[in-house]
Amino acid sequence: MKRWLCLFISFIPLLLLTTSCYGLQQINELAIVTAVGLDVGKAPGSVKLSVQIIRPADARGQTGAPAGGTGQPIYSVSAEGDSIFDAIRNLGHFTSRRVYWAHNFLIVMHESYARRGIADMIDFFTRNHELRMNTWVAVTPDAPDEVISTITGLEVVPGQAVDRLFRNIQIVGLAPASDMRSLEEAFLSPSVQPVLAELKLVKRGISNKKPEEHGSIKQVELAGAAAFNKDKMVGWLSSIETKGAMYFLQKLKSGIEVVSCPQSKDQIVTLELKDIRLKVTPSYANQVPSFDIRMKLQADVVENDCGAPITEIREATERTLKEKLALHIEKAVARAQHYHSDFLKLADVFRNKFPVEWQTLGTDWNAVFVQAETTVEVEATIESTVLKAAKQEVK
Amino acid sequence: MRKIQITNGMFVAMVVNLIFAKAIGVTQGVLARSIGQDMWVATLLGTLQGAAMMYIAYLAIRRTPHLNYIELGDLLLGKWFGKLIALLIFVFYLAAFGPVMITFVYHLKDYFLPEAPYWLFTSSALIIGSIGCFYGLEVMARIALIGSLFIFLLNTLIIIGSMKEFDIRNLLPLLEHGFPLTAAASLHFDADWALAIMLAALILPFVNGAAAYGRKLSVVSILASGMVIVIWAILEGAVLSAEVTSQYTISCMKLARNAHIGNFLQRYEMIMIALYSFSILFEVMFCIYGTSVSISKIFGLKSHKVMIAPVCIVLGLFGTWVVRDHFRAITYLENDWPRIALPIAFSLPLLMLGLRMLMRKKLNQAVQSQHGES
Repeated sequence: MKRWLCLFISFIPLLLLTTSCYGLQQINELAIVTAVGLDVGKAPGSVKLSVQIIRPADARGQTGAPAGGTGQPIYSVSAEGDSIFDAIRNLGHFTSRRVYWAHNFLIVMHESYARRGIADMIDFFTRNHELRMNTWVAVTPDAPDEVISTITGLEVVPGQAVDRLFRNIQIVGLAPASDMRSLEEAFLSPSVQPVLAELKLVKRGISNKKPEEHGSIKQVELAGAAAFNKDKMVGWLSSIETKGAMYFLQKLKSGIEVVSCPQSKDQIVTLELKDIRLKVTPSYANQVPSFDIRMKLQADVVENDCGAPITEIREATERTLKEKLALHIEKAVARAQHYHSDFLKLADVFRNKFPVEWQTLGTDWNAVFVQAETTVEVEATIESTVLKAAKQEVK
Repeated sequence: MRKIQITNGMFVAMVVNLIFAKAIGVTQGVLARSIGQDMWVATLLGTLQGAAMMYIAYLAIRRTPHLNYIELGDLLLGKWFGKLIALLIFVFYLAAFGPVMITFVYHLKDYFLPEAPYWLFTSSALIIGSIGCFYGLEVMARIALIGSLFIFLLNTLIIIGSMKEFDIRNLLPLLEHGFPLTAAASLHFDADWALAIMLAALILPFVNGAAAYGRKLSVVSILASGMVIVIWAILEGAVLSAEVTSQYTISCMKLARNAHIGNFLQRYEMIMIALYSFSILFEVMFCIYGTSVSISKIFGLKSHKVMIAPVCIVLGLFGTWVVRDHFRAITYLENDWPRIALPIAFSLPLLMLGLRMLMRKKLNQAVQSQHGES
C-alpha cells in the first residue's frame, strides 16, 4: 500500500509534463519554408533574405489544385536586416506565421553575397536546430528571390523541384551535390576549400497555351559550380571544369560524353560512362608536391552516328574519349590553381600521405598548391554496344 | 548470500548503459577538440585502460566478493575508513551528475525543446530516476538490459543512416599529433569508464558468481562498451570530420541529424533519442543510487531508500546549476569533471587492492569470523 502511495505521489508531478505546453508548435501556425534566398541588402553590410513558404492547402496532390485557397502553392517574401536572424525577425512584421526551417530544401545565395563571405550563413544555419544538414546550398548569378519562386519541372513547389535536380546529380554530373554538411566540413577543414553548385534561370519552358513561343518560361538550371577560398567566392567554374571537378568530388554513377567520329569531326558518337574510378597519388620532391591522377572507366555506346561499325572505330574512339576526359580534369585542376582554391581535395590526399610535411606546408597550402605539378592518365574502355551486336556487320 | 542477485548479462548491460550515453557524443566532441581525427584511437586506448582498471577493481574484492568497497573498507581499517570511502563515492556520483545532466538536458533542450526551462529536464529525470532507484538494483538492471537492446538498434540505425557519407580520408592521417598526445586525450574517455569502476565498486557483490566470473565480466563489460562507442567515434570522424565534430557540445546529435535512410526516412533523430533514453535514464538512476547508498552508509542507515529524496534535491540543484550556463557546463565537463573522476577512479581500486594485500591476514580473520557468525 505504501509503495502504491509513493508511486501515485511520484506520478502527480509527471502530469504537469503531459500538457505539452512547452515548445508547442501547431502545424497550422507555422510558415513552412522550402527554399531560402540570400542576397546583399541595400544598406552596406546588410542581408536580404527571401523565403519560399509553402501553402499546404494549395500544394496538395500532384498538381497543386486549389481547394478553396488562392491557387498558388507557394508564398514568397523577402526582408532585410543587419544579420540573417535580424532579417528573419523582420519577416515577422508581415508574415502571419512563425518561420519554420525543418523542411527547407534549399539555400541559394547571390554571387555578390557569396563574394562578400558566407561565414555568417554557415554559422547561422549550422547553429539552428531546425535545419536539416542535407539542405542543398547553391550560388546563383540571378536574383535569389526569383530563383526560389520559379516553378521548375513537374513539381508544384519550386524548392522541391530543385531538391529533385540535386538528387539526380550522380547521374547528370553537371554540378556538385553541395549540402550544408559538406559545406560546413569544407569550411572548417584546414586543407580543402568549399565548392558550391550553381543555379541559374534559363528560358527553356514551353507554354502549353503558346507553344510557338519556345523558351518563354524560365526554368531553374542546375549546372556549374562556384569556387570558394575560405568563406569567399572566388569565381565560377565552366561546365567543362565542373565536369572535371565532379570526378574528384562525387561518386558518379554514370556520365555522358559526346566525341567526334575518327573519320569525320562533323559526326559524333555518344558514350555513357560507367564504373568511374579516380585515384590520386601524391608525391613530394624538391619542396614541390605533385599529384598523379589516374581515372579508370568503362563506356557504353548509346548513339553511333559515325556510319561505321563500332568494331572499326573502337580504339580511335577510346583514344578520343581519354583525351577529352583528361582535358576536363586538367582544366579543373588548372582552374583550382588559378583561383588558389583547393576545392578538389588534393590537400586531403597529400596530408594523409605526408603528414609530417603537411605540418609545414599546410599553413600556406593554397600557395603551395598553385606550384603543384599534376599528371593525368585516363584508362577508358568501350565494352558494350548496348542492344546492338558488337560485330563488324553492325554499324 | 545477498537477497538481490544480478545476472552476468545484466552487469555487462549496466556498464554499457552507464558509459554509452555521454561517451558517444559529449566525450567525442571533447576528444575531437583535443586530438582531431584520432578521437577513435583515443577511445580505443581509453577502452584498454578502462579494461585494465576494471580488472584491478575486481582484484580488490576478489577474496571478498560479497563485500562492496564501503564494506571492505569497514573490514580493513574500521568504520571511519568505510565512511571515508562512502564519502568519496558520494562526491564522485554527485560530480558525475554534472556531465550526465549536460548529456541529458542539452540533447533534449537544445535540439527539441529550446523554450522549456532547465528545471523541467532535471526534475523529470530525477523523478523517473528516483522511481527506478526506489525499486532497487534488479529493476535498474532490467532497464539496463532493455537499454542494451535499444543501444544495438540505435547503432544499427546510425550505421545505416550514415554509411553513404562515410569518407575514410577524414580519419587519416593516423596519429597525426603523435601517440603521447592521443594517449593524453584518452583521459577524457577514461572519465567515462570511471563511472563503470565506481559501479563495480558498489554492485559487483550483487552479481551472480562474482568470484568465479568477475575477472571475465569486468573486462568484457568495458570492451563491449568500447566496441559500441567506437562505432560513433569512427562515424563522427569519417562522416562529419573531426573539425565539424569539435564544434558541437553534443556531436552525436549532429551525426544523428545528418543520418537518413534513402530519401524516404529523414530526420529520424527523435526515434534515435527514444532509443537512447533508457541509457541516459539509467545513468541518472545510478547517480541517484550511488549517492543515496553512499550517504546512507555515512549516516549509518540500513536502507538507502530514505535518502533518495534528499539526494535528489542536492543532485537537482547541482545539475541545474551546471547546465544553466553553457560556458560553465563546458568548463566543468572538460576541466573539472576529469580532475574529480580520474583520481578517484584510478586511486580507489588501487588503494583497496594495496590495502587488501597489505592486510591480508586481518581480512582473512575478519572474513572467517563473519562466516563463523553466519
